[in-house]
Amino acid sequence: MFRVRLHGRGGQGIKTASQILGSAAFFSGFQAQDFPLYGAERRGAPIVAFTRINRQNILERGPILVPDILLIGDESLLEDIQAAPLCGADNFTAIFINSSRLPEKLQENYSLSTLPHVLDITSLCVKFLDNGSSTSAAIAAVGARLLGQIEFPALKEAVELELNAQGINSDLRKKNIDLAEEVFQLLTPMEVKERPEKNITSSKLISSEQKPVVLAAPIILEPGNMALRKTGNWRLDRPEIDYEHCNNCLICYARCPDGVIGIKTDGSPEIDYDHCKGCLICAQECPGHFIKTVKESGSWE
Amino acid sequence: MTTLETHYKKIKDLHHEEAVAPGTGLCAGCGGLEGLRLGLKELGNDVLICNAAGCFTLLSVYPFTPLKGSWLYTTMGGPVPAAQGVRDALDIQLSRKTLTEDDNLSIVVVAGDGSSNDIGLGATSAALHRKLDFIYFCYDNEAYGNTGFQLSASSPYGSSTQTTPSVKFHPVGAELNKKNLFDIWRAQEPTYIATVSPREPIDLSNKFAKAKNLVGPRMFICMSPCPTGWGFNPKDTQLIAKLAVDTGIFPIKEYFEGKVIHTKQPRRRLPVEKFLETQKRFSHLFEPERKSDVIEQIQKTVDKYWEPYE
Repeated sequence: MFRVRLHGRGGQGIKTASQILGSAAFFSGFQAQDFPLYGAERRGAPIVAFTRINRQNILERGPILVPDILLIGDESLLEDIQAAPLCGADNFTAIFINSSRLPEKLQENYSLSTLPHVLDITSLCVKFLDNGSSTSAAIAAVGARLLGQIEFPALKEAVELELNAQGINSDLRKKNIDLAEEVFQLLTPMEVKERPEKNITSSKLISSEQKPVVLAAPIILEPGNMALRKTGNWRLDRPEIDYEHCNNCLICYARCPDGVIGIKTDGSPEIDYDHCKGCLICAQECPGHFIKTVKESGSWE
Repeated sequence: MTTLETHYKKIKDLHHEEAVAPGTGLCAGCGGLEGLRLGLKELGNDVLICNAAGCFTLLSVYPFTPLKGSWLYTTMGGPVPAAQGVRDALDIQLSRKTLTEDDNLSIVVVAGDGSSNDIGLGATSAALHRKLDFIYFCYDNEAYGNTGFQLSASSPYGSSTQTTPSVKFHPVGAELNKKNLFDIWRAQEPTYIATVSPREPIDLSNKFAKAKNLVGPRMFICMSPCPTGWGFNPKDTQLIAKLAVDTGIFPIKEYFEGKVIHTKQPRRRLPVEKFLETQKRFSHLFEPERKSDVIEQIQKTVDKYWEPYE
């Protein structure tokens, strides 16, 4: 059995990628299982999806804790403690990272146990779709190619099926198929190290002792402590204020839904990058277009 | 046309202190959050928020809260009964002098359109009947957004939702009209009702400043463009909020002392398709072929609304 775990950000198409990969495997004669982990997070927040692929029936259920292939759609997730995309990865795990950096650099910087497979999916998506965050077809193509057991026609059929189900028009579906083909050609199948299957043993029933309810009662002692949670790494693009031209009209400040644009003592606006989710309303609404957008590419180097 | 008492004239006049801390799990570009942020700036920190289940469930995720005030989480139908309970408890304590006036809180209900129009409406009506002293903030993104965008009584005619997609036998999408919550509330003559848009921060803040000093039920409906559910780029949230006002689809008005006044009336209304064409939930009205009858029907409804005022 191949267990593929996909990590990305909401809105990036990670769930769809897992579906395309599952369908592509199915069209290649495999049994397949695909599903996302539903949580209370959304567009821009870390998302996890899973695909299980097997020749025989798949009896395993639930999230994949030890993946054979890790597909990481957004490099900045590697620095996110809550997303923890490397969790459960071992020496058998093949890691793919969507990045413009060299595999050696990534391995060193994130202390990866194996050399990752790397491709700049975002740039390819911009090239083919004019949208760097619609990565579903490309990520699925990476998974299919690395596995080496799925041929392109099956992938093509899966892209067509899944994107059609999402209401994507035929023109855009065609572009996605071209993108998937390009990805397919740029990568070579990895060496598949199939993990020895473990026998599942039943676990012991644990009975826990009754504790006072107050121990579990949620008490928040510090008002406004949500600020401890950094949402800055949700950003795909970063708004930057051009202070030379900014006339401090503060429209950006008024229009920011998250209230992350503060006002400095001199009356000029200032973006809190720890929390800015990168919706880019400020850049869109600035009357003089003095806020430019810059692609995010991780904080190191 | 504007007869609103003005506390604020410029953006620079607004309170600089934020009442909602960043870091929440709400979608980037959430229109409802912008409305709440501006509204709470005005109400200050001495509030107790009764939050109905919905998107804003994500405001406070234990052990974190973005609010400086208190927060009580309720079921979808329960925020107004909760508000009544908290108000009564505070009033009893105040009358027994076990609490001083300094400890008093304003009760704010925060609920989505599903809770406001469907599940919680009965309890709201009862509270309006009892003239409960509270502020109600409805963030209206015209569907059950938190669960994946299913039809609510607030979903407009012609919009596609998870439960009303445009299909062969139902090409229109949602076939029912949006419930007129403003007039439903108005029939029970609360102290104050206003519709607000995040794109009009001055108008919004003035309305909250006015409502803050009144007593009795004070109701707000906030137009909340939803990038995820409506299908548009998050950066266009404010643009779409503006188009909703400029096309006349979302009238910005207030009800006070028996009168309804439009505080931001578009001088020349834009055709409704300017608003519709920006969102994926209406894309079936334009592709693969244009459904002119549906678009015309939407335009007619808007025209009919504005007829007496123009």
